[in-house]
Amino acid sequence: MRRRTLGTLSALALTGLLAACGGGDTSTSGSGSSSGSSQEALTFGTEGTYAPFSYHDEKTNDLVGYDIDVAKAVGEQLGRDVEFSENNWDSLFAGMEAKRYDGIANQVSITAEREAKYVFSAPYTVSTGVVVTRADDTSVTSLADIAGKTSAQSTTSNWAQTATEAGAKVEAVEGLTQAMTLLKQGRVDVTVNDQLAVLDYLKTSGDTGVKIAAETDDRTEQGFVFRKDEAETAQQVSDALAKLKADGTLAEISQKWFGQDVSGPAAG
Amino acid sequence: MDQSTLDLVRDSLVPLATGLVRGTIPLTIASFAIGMVIALVVALMRLSSVLVLQGIARFYVSVIRGTPLLVQLFLIYYALPEFGATWDPFPSAVVAFSLNVGGYASEVVRAAILSVPRGQTEAALTIGMNYPTTMRRIVLPQAARVAVPPLSNTLISLVKDTSLASSIQVVELLRKASEIAAPTYEFFALYSLAAVYYWIVCLVLSFGQTRVETRLNRHVAR
Repeated sequence: MRRRTLGTLSALALTGLLAACGGGDTSTSGSGSSSGSSQEALTFGTEGTYAPFSYHDEKTNDLVGYDIDVAKAVGEQLGRDVEFSENNWDSLFAGMEAKRYDGIANQVSITAEREAKYVFSAPYTVSTGVVVTRADDTSVTSLADIAGKTSAQSTTSNWAQTATEAGAKVEAVEGLTQAMTLLKQGRVDVTVNDQLAVLDYLKTSGDTGVKIAAETDDRTEQGFVFRKDEAETAQQVSDALAKLKADGTLAEISQKWFGQDVSGPAAG
Repeated sequence: MDQSTLDLVRDSLVPLATGLVRGTIPLTIASFAIGMVIALVVALMRLSSVLVLQGIARFYVSVIRGTPLLVQLFLIYYALPEFGATWDPFPSAVVAFSLNVGGYASEVVRAAILSVPRGQTEAALTIGMNYPTTMRRIVLPQAARVAVPPLSNTLISLVKDTSLASSIQVVELLRKASEIAAPTYEFFALYSLAAVYYWIVCLVLSFGQTRVETRLNRHVAR
């Protein structure tokens, strides 16, 4: 009996080791796939669960989205492969600081606080924020009306700050859909998020329980963000974005995902 | 649930199973196997008469039990690169979970070893067996019987704890569910399906526990 127990144990251990060696293929393929390009791949952290910017296609399971397309176009312009590493929003910046990737491609809004710590590329999206309430809630008609209300936000998102500054009490959630769920369940009163993301949510989910009640007055710009030691890369990416803007590629990608050009004015 | 939701759930059965088979299960098996080795070593260290070894083992168990598993994962994944050790998500998760299991299970193993009457060790040493042989042939087989129920608990907890690995980019069952839910906004349906998958795995493990208990008890008259 003893010998058999030991045998079972070692078989278990062996399976474990094999699994540890073989099972490590996540979507994060490290490096070493430079197909013809002289430089090493440009790596981006991205959520992979933020439709329509960065998510997995239902049918093919491929990582797709507006941000993914823009990042790939930038890579093509620079003659570098682009690789993505998927992470929760709240961990995206931690992963970048830990040098797990060069930058983030996930609709990162350009804010003064972030600019103090990181370096941004030129923006590739210009949009506004919107306040979402339950469909039957008529108490909110402007951002100022959310003062004293409870708002569901990802804590490190700039929308959390917008909500806090408007006087709302922020309830921490994982992302947009969780915020919508809390909203419908009556656990929070509002949520503030990117107009494009909310419009996509309303269109895709067919949700009639919530509505856009107000727009925030600030226009936000979203760009790729990099560690400060990748400032040179950020500059190259900005140059590439300017070329893609000029030749109409950005407008084309934008049309594909939103039916309108959200990539903002030329240059920058 | 309307038809389209049902269709989505049906279409998600296989992708979620992939997350289970390629993420959750290998992660569980590897972590549990390595964790058990750590547990045995740490338990023996705590039971040894060498004060330094005892101290190290006590400190380790104290840190593991005194900090959240999620924090341990984050430290290994995000803090170690500061010191030049950048591991991929899967090995990082295996290391974190193994250390965690090792800490908790060592207390189980220690208690199980202590449950074997001291007289048996003394008797074995008296007839000329050395310490390792005594452990292997007299003490551990008896301790194993005592340790099975609590270790099964540890294993079942581990299956569910591996869902935390989704927060460090490991594509396992929960992450797979999030990926499918994101573009469709069907979080409730997908998380429910994931819950059912976890539950099935744990049912299988409970069944296995009963079998192992019966087998180990077959020489013990009741």
